Amino acid sequence: MNLEWHGHEEVGTSKAQLWAFISDPKSVADCVPDLVEAVVEDATHFDAIVSVGVGPVRGKFKLKIELEPQSDGNRMNMKISGGGLGSTVDLLAGADLTDHGATTSLDWTGTATMRGKIASLAGRVIDAQAQRVITTTFANVKARCASSSA
Amino acid sequence: MSTTEAPPANGRHSMGQPMKRKEDARFIAGKGRYIDDIVLPNMLYLAIVHSDYPHAKITKIDKDAALKIPGVLAVITADDLAGVGLAWIPTFHGYDKQMVLAVGKVLYQYQEVAAVVATSRAAAADGVEAVVVEYEQLTPVVDPFTAKTDKTLVREDRENKTNHIYHWEVGKRAETDAAIAASDVKINERVYFQRCHPAPLEPCGCVADMNPATGTLTLYMTSQAPHAHRTVVSLVTGIPEDKIHVISPDIGGGFGNKVPVYAGYVCSAVASIVTGHPIKWIETRTENLTTTGFARDYTMDVEIGATKDGKVTALKVTTHADHGAFDAAADPTKYPAGMFGICTGSYDFPVAFTELDAYFTNKAPGGVAYRCSFRVTEASYAIERGMDLLANALGMDPADVRMKNFVRKDQFPYPSPLGFVYDSGDYHTTLQKALDKVGYKELRKEQAEKRARGELMGIGISTFTEVVGAGPSKHFDIMGIKMFDSAEIRIHPTGSGIVRAGTKSQGQGHETTWAQIVAEELGLDPQNLLVEEGDTDTAPYGLGTYASRSTPVAGAALAMAARRVREKARNIAAHVMEAPLDDVEWVDYKFQVKGVPSKTVTMKEIAFAAYTNPGPNEPGLEATYYYDPPNLTFPYGAYIAVVDVDKDTGETKVRRFLAIDDCGTVINPMIVEGQIHGGLTEGFAIAFMQEIAYDAEGNNLQPNFTEYLIPTSLESPHWETDSTCNPSPHHPIGAKGVGESPNVGSPAAFVNAVMDALSPLGIKNIDMPLTRSKVWSAIQEATKA
Amino acid sequence: MKVSLKVNGADYERDVEPRVLLAYFLREDLGLTGTHVGCDTSSCGCCVVLMDGEKAVKSCTMFAVMADGHEITTIEGMKKDGKLHPMQQAFSDQHGLQCGYCTPGMMATAIAFLKHNPDPSEAEIRDALSGNMCRCTGYNNIVKAVQQAAAELSAPAAEPVAAS
Repeated sequence: MNLEWHGHEEVGTSKAQLWAFISDPKSVADCVPDLVEAVVEDATHFDAIVSVGVGPVRGKFKLKIELEPQSDGNRMNMKISGGGLGSTVDLLAGADLTDHGATTSLDWTGTATMRGKIASLAGRVIDAQAQRVITTTFANVKARCASSSA
Repeated sequence: MSTTEAPPANGRHSMGQPMKRKEDARFIAGKGRYIDDIVLPNMLYLAIVHSDYPHAKITKIDKDAALKIPGVLAVITADDLAGVGLAWIPTFHGYDKQMVLAVGKVLYQYQEVAAVVATSRAAAADGVEAVVVEYEQLTPVVDPFTAKTDKTLVREDRENKTNHIYHWEVGKRAETDAAIAASDVKINERVYFQRCHPAPLEPCGCVADMNPATGTLTLYMTSQAPHAHRTVVSLVTGIPEDKIHVISPDIGGGFGNKVPVYAGYVCSAVASIVTGHPIKWIETRTENLTTTGFARDYTMDVEIGATKDGKVTALKVTTHADHGAFDAAADPTKYPAGMFGICTGSYDFPVAFTELDAYFTNKAPGGVAYRCSFRVTEASYAIERGMDLLANALGMDPADVRMKNFVRKDQFPYPSPLGFVYDSGDYHTTLQKALDKVGYKELRKEQAEKRARGELMGIGISTFTEVVGAGPSKHFDIMGIKMFDSAEIRIHPTGSGIVRAGTKSQGQGHETTWAQIVAEELGLDPQNLLVEEGDTDTAPYGLGTYASRSTPVAGAALAMAARRVREKARNIAAHVMEAPLDDVEWVDYKFQVKGVPSKTVTMKEIAFAAYTNPGPNEPGLEATYYYDPPNLTFPYGAYIAVVDVDKDTGETKVRRFLAIDDCGTVINPMIVEGQIHGGLTEGFAIAFMQEIAYDAEGNNLQPNFTEYLIPTSLESPHWETDSTCNPSPHHPIGAKGVGESPNVGSPAAFVNAVMDALSPLGIKNIDMPLTRSKVWSAIQEATKA
Repeated sequence: MKVSLKVNGADYERDVEPRVLLAYFLREDLGLTGTHVGCDTSSCGCCVVLMDGEKAVKSCTMFAVMADGHEITTIEGMKKDGKLHPMQQAFSDQHGLQCGYCTPGMMATAIAFLKHNPDPSEAEIRDALSGNMCRCTGYNNIVKAVQQAAAELSAPAAEPVAAS
């Protein structure tokens, strides 16, 4: 099952502040909704345990997350892989930062491949659920980055 | 007498009477006995661990946590089965083998990986949750066109390193190609008959009970073919056949789903042999939909040539068949694509050719004859869609194109270009009856008016011919066993009796219709003829109930066995009436001395005499008959669907559906009508709602009834039915079989109707199921420009 | 957990695991196997029984303990005074069943429905039965059976009205 999403946030901080926020695994991890536990491995890697409830399937996902800052500082890529409940997910997310002085545009995209029981049993609702997770994550980035910089 | 009128119900003793069903008494009281109702002392429960992924290496199976759960006694894997030589078993026709539990890798999502044996149903389910299986995922192959490239191999275990299973063809390729090329008008369209599932409301299951003292293995199982299963179990396990007792209790619907042998049966039998306890395994709905016999999954390229004035010149159908992970299609040994050669349908094609290539994919195995004779539904869909596409290309009315090309009544017995000899029919009369009854001309007029207003109304016709009743032993066998069937009749002293057959009813009403056949032949009361099926220790050997073979084969055996009883009774009658044998005739359901109408004796009286005063004759009154049919039977019908399609939502409303069926002699019109209603509803579901679809990653997207939709009373149309009657000339009572016609014939009628509705938009084909969103998308696409 | 309930007129008090579904309690603890299970998703309705005489409930979607203090009627309890319930008779008369697997649940739903709507139209019957699947009959004859039962059930009630 292949899924695609995209979105836009206008963050009320400078580009440098936003870049610093999204380069920090700890602050990114805290933006993931339904996070049960996050263990930061190093500057670009962290493990997260997230509770999942899709259709009839409920349980926990163990995810390995890797931040891939692009050298020009305009784009952050994120690779997420892992799974649980007889399912695996590979997710690639990317966010482009555009400097508007006091604010910064954050244009993000995500593509995911789902395999296993969740894709089978909850295929019809998974798109909306996953979209909620990823949209909430970036909305949280906007809110928390602004408040941490304030 | 005209052969196109319904048979008279009057004047016959039992045949043709709408007798109420004898089996109903227990079902309406909740006293049926289905597989899960069977409880034996000290019974254990088995539940199965299924694969999460469609194609993956198994790197580890950890049983420890499961074995710690209270009540869990054992976790069985392929290694354990290998120890008793049962890791693999032969597939249906024996050309391939299949894993019972995954051996080294899984080949489709939900494949059986391990089995848990426990003291209760709940403990077994807990055990399943606790078994940890680790996988290394491989690329899945989910369609025959990708499979064809052999880039990823599904079956490394096979000698031939290819996903291609077999090529099959019949007919004249060169002549057909030449005839199509030379035709004024030709069509060439790819139609897909989607993967669907019989989904009887009762899932599969078994209770396996090895008696360690006697060494007898009793298998209570949801089996449409108990004798075939006994033989297979014996061949595969080496247990002598006399020590295997298969009992098929009441079955909550089969539709072909309960023909194959499944992992749960094998694991339960092994577990019972090892533990000495009875073992119960009952499938969940998800297991039923994801692992047991699917149907169809044929992609068919249909080419038809015709003259300008609409006379067909040639037919060619080229098929890609998706068989899933094992070649477990349920087809007779010599017919790898079943009776697909019936694809010339009801039409007189001068020449035809069909070929088929089958492929392995990472999908569940199966390919069962789902409420149809082997692959006849696919073939009928191809030709009936093809005839409508041809009518469209010719600019002719689809009814006229059919009338112009039907095999004529005087052509029967009709040798078809693909090798069948059709027994009887009068296609013109049957279609005309349907057109008159539905008010075809008025409907076309209404359609023209609606079109002028921009509304989408469609009329769809399907005039299919089925081929059922496998079959003559010269051609038909399964693993070498000829496809005859059998009957045994014993008449008791008081004129009641017991009738046994090698078939197995799953709702078809054999307990009633079998009694009617025998009662008609013997002049006895059908209410006092007990019909028994499904117990291999008592029933005569037969290959079971599927592919509409019960009435054509076992029904004939019953009539012939009854005639043997009657002949024996005639001898006793001669003794009782003190008349020469040659002077004793069977007149009006009684024996009578020739020319002396007052001197008669009833069968009931002869039954008593057989035990009290047989004279020089062998006492008793019983007979057995094994019937080897001389030919197949060819039921047919003319179906008309009328639909309205909502342009804005894509929703189709089936306003009317008329089915005129010709199944030859009717045994019980009430039951025939019920069979047609049921089959039409399954055809409706396939046309509009159902598909076992897999996504590109091999995920099964229809694993339960919230995704795989079963029509309810709310969406099911109201069915109109009627009949014509052209008896089969080679069948003892002229019956052809009917249970599957409506499921074979109706999908094309529905789709033809919707395509007819959409034709003003230039839409030629949408593959089933014609869901709202698919139809809406097609309308959007067509009206975009 | 303790559960006390009345089933087909008899009182039962049992100790059950809290997770035991009413359907399995009826089938396996009480041996009333006329109630069937056909799916895992509350879709098919094979398990429908009557609660408190007039409410159709899917017994696979209720824990046995939730029936505590209630009265359950299963297919086995529908016969009255040795006579078939008019719905049972109608299903046989109209050939409203084939394999028989959906029949108990279908009849329970239909009986509950007629209590609330004794004189339904065909559309209302089809709507009322839409939680019960049948794979064999195509519903035509089930609808006819419910119509027959409705006529019979309302007939005695209609008499005194006519007399007055």
